[in-house]
Amino acid sequence: MESIMFLGFGLDAWITIATVLGMFTVLLTTKWRSDMVFLGAIGILYVTGVLDAKEAFSGFSSTSVITVGVLFVVVAGLMHTGVLQCIVRFLLGTPKSYGKAVARLMVPVAVLSSFLSNTTVVALFVNIVKMWSRKLGVSPSKLLIPLSYASGMGGVCTLIGTPPNLIISGLYEEKTGQAMNILATTIPGLFCLVIGILSIIAMHRLLPNRKAPESAFESTGDYTVELQVPSDNPYIGQTLGEAGLCHVNGGSLIKLYHFDDIMSSVSEDEPIMGGDHLVYAGQIDEIIEMALTHQLVSADHHIFSMSEIDHDCKLRTAYVNFGSSLIGKTIGKSSFEKDNNVVLAAVSRRGERINEAPRDVVLEAGDTLLLICPKHFNMNTTSLKDDLCFFDSDEVPNIGYGTLISTVIMIAMVVVSALGIIPLLQCAFLAAAAMLICRCCNMEQAMRAINWDILMVFAGSAVLGLAIQKTGIAEWLANGILDVCGTNPLVVMTAICFVGTFVTEFISNTAAGAMFFPIMYEAADKLGYDPFPFLIALMISVSSSFATPIGSPTHMLVYGPGGYRFSDFMRIGLLMNIIILAANILIVNIIYPLTPQ
Amino acid sequence: MNTVLKEENNDLVMYFEGRLDTASSPETETAVAPLKESTGRNIILDCTKLDYISSSGLRIFLNILKSAKAKGDHVYIRGISDDIRAVFVMTGFINLFEFK
Repeated sequence: MESIMFLGFGLDAWITIATVLGMFTVLLTTKWRSDMVFLGAIGILYVTGVLDAKEAFSGFSSTSVITVGVLFVVVAGLMHTGVLQCIVRFLLGTPKSYGKAVARLMVPVAVLSSFLSNTTVVALFVNIVKMWSRKLGVSPSKLLIPLSYASGMGGVCTLIGTPPNLIISGLYEEKTGQAMNILATTIPGLFCLVIGILSIIAMHRLLPNRKAPESAFESTGDYTVELQVPSDNPYIGQTLGEAGLCHVNGGSLIKLYHFDDIMSSVSEDEPIMGGDHLVYAGQIDEIIEMALTHQLVSADHHIFSMSEIDHDCKLRTAYVNFGSSLIGKTIGKSSFEKDNNVVLAAVSRRGERINEAPRDVVLEAGDTLLLICPKHFNMNTTSLKDDLCFFDSDEVPNIGYGTLISTVIMIAMVVVSALGIIPLLQCAFLAAAAMLICRCCNMEQAMRAINWDILMVFAGSAVLGLAIQKTGIAEWLANGILDVCGTNPLVVMTAICFVGTFVTEFISNTAAGAMFFPIMYEAADKLGYDPFPFLIALMISVSSSFATPIGSPTHMLVYGPGGYRFSDFMRIGLLMNIIILAANILIVNIIYPLTPQ
Repeated sequence: MNTVLKEENNDLVMYFEGRLDTASSPETETAVAPLKESTGRNIILDCTKLDYISSSGLRIFLNILKSAKAKGDHVYIRGISDDIRAVFVMTGFINLFEFK
């Protein structure tokens, strides 16, 4: 095959180019599973003889890919012991200004992302940030892009924070035999993070302010909650306005039924009577807080006194299963509550409010129910399992010793690896084993936590990088860049990082990392410089995809909830790309000065 | 729904007869207007012949009470049946009014 040359490339190089371009075209234009597309690309490279069997499947035995897989188990331990939930609950608070809110949000997200999968962290924060933004009176669209950016910038701060770092460091270790420290990117990453936070605060006007009525509805994670006025309520006889029951933070009273089931107007002058049913729409936490302060109870049967309420009840969230017998019915007209000893407190549909009393909502598959359950509630009965999927069934975080133990395991893993006592992969294996032994998660949860699709994409990316290198494409591109940029190492580093930053907007960061590694390495090598600083800069640039929503899976997570448009990311993202690139090149050259080999 | 306003021992007594529900509320509201205008006299709401009271009826009672209280007058309810007493208990209005 080497004998057939066209435009300086052999047939195998052209097959690689066609495969890579074809693969990304398919990924961008179809909804095919990305893991299958990557596998298909590897299959083509293997069948056409570009790669031999060992090379084609080397991705699956690559230490960086296995590290990512093992880290899924470590993260499962943290998730199931409630560490993340604890952090989220205590960190956000109620900052007074937008700038403080951005910092309050981005710093913890970045810190968490530097150790955990960015997607996991953003998925955890999306709904919380939506609720938090309403509390602060800020549009969610002003906070969700910073959330996603923070996870990307935090991810680069450690080798385990983001897969491209692991892929690049893994390839570096294979090439040179020297392992990178787990904290090799920490200082440059933190510097870029600080610059990033300051830039977002400074450019916050470029973030959209989606507060139009039509988008206000879609950007809320609201519940509709029906509450009842007990007969001994102190506000009886007062008007809704006098009692302050018309509005709650982030919601309002939408319906009022008196004891005789006659719906009354929701006006400030309407008197409150015992037995009234008040239907609120808004943030569940605020409504529940208001219910407590105003001594309102969940509407079920008539309550004569607050003392009748079981203070040991627990709120549990459940989704209506496909095929559930509740679909098409209302809870009010079924015997569901009586049969299962639960009370329906609220219903939400795809995160949107339903302007009806929860018991009158005709349920659909996927509806979210908020149920008041007894403290020792058995949610594993056959009938319940068929009808509902409890969000926190076996994944309910049991905050206690496990929380502490899993935190210690995670910190120990990072410290031991950072000090170079044990290589990262071994540390990750030990930490995963410790999580299982200490029962921070069980075997089933651990296996379920491993995202095989993502691993397949990582493995595929590593193999594509290898093909680009083996077929001489990397060298050709490196030579091309050197021809254009001359022999100034700083210019070459900047040029490759610049191209990397923009290519990663359209392809996965991991694939960009795997493909640009050989180009950057070859370029540094040809210039006669140590490739290490070049690769650190590359790590930061391939994770700096700010300008398109397809640049990172975390952007896609916030795209819908923020009510964003494609151009929203472009407006602030293009500038962010340039700013972070400049910060990246500056700090890398200060921390890791370029040294001729 | 019939209402009759009488003066008894310097008290104003309003007699209610029949069902005080949403349909009869507007006319009852008009009928009780003189009670709200009186000052310095106790008001007695006689419910001996009242068969039913809805939330609209309770709202009328409450308005009478609020206007009397503002002037330092008293409102008494007398002769309520067990059924209507149950409504007063459930709505918590039993604690707002004085009963004779």
